Amino acid sequence: MKILYFASLKESIGKREDTIQIDGKKKIYQIIDELKNSDSNYNTAFTKIKNLQYAVNCEYVNKNSFVTNKDELAIFPPVTGG
Amino acid sequence: MKVIFQKQNFVIEKQISLFSKTNKINEGAIVLFVGKARHKYKDKKILSIDIELYEKMAIFQTKKIIKNLKKKYNILDYLLIHRFGKIKPGENIILILVSSEHRKQSFGFSEELIDWLKVKATFWKKEHFSKNSKWVSQKESDRKLIKT
Repeated sequence: MKILYFASLKESIGKREDTIQIDGKKKIYQIIDELKNSDSNYNTAFTKIKNLQYAVNCEYVNKNSFVTNKDELAIFPPVTGG
Repeated sequence: MKVIFQKQNFVIEKQISLFSKTNKINEGAIVLFVGKARHKYKDKKILSIDIELYEKMAIFQTKKIIKNLKKKYNILDYLLIHRFGKIKPGENIILILVSSEHRKQSFGFSEELIDWLKVKATFWKKEHFSKNSKWVSQKESDRKLIKT
């Protein structure tokens, strides 16, 4: 599945996207925990940036939502357009 | 009825002129809202801002918001332009033009649209100062304006 990062989260991680493979389905917070354990950059970014928001296939969801390999997950700080 | 996300600035007068030329049956009011880039953050001079965009989701969320607001306010036409990329202080960021039979429909639509965009549309602003840069934080007051 594709994971997209935006704004301060993208800068802190140092890249705009990842592609990972998951078996069946997983909750978003489980994926984030795995990323945090895999690399200190992720750990720092996900710990430092508060109030992160999550979207699956462009719909806002919470981090207890399930995702599969077919989904596009986006993670970002609260938006500030307009 | 158009949503446009673009890098380049827009000319307000030209957009009003084009929008008001299209004849709509029983049009009685047109409302315009323009959001502009400020020159200062507190006492610090802003040199420029960058707006990052997640385009696919911004389109999806904006269309969803507009679909609901069209039902609520029964408007006749709208144009939304939101810029992204590098923007200088004083330049335009966003334009909303709405037309309806009566003024309250257009006022209501434009006000609610900008309120929703501020907390749902996937744009992020970064302000550049002479010595540093800072991502803009979402305002608590903006979050309170919408009922999710």
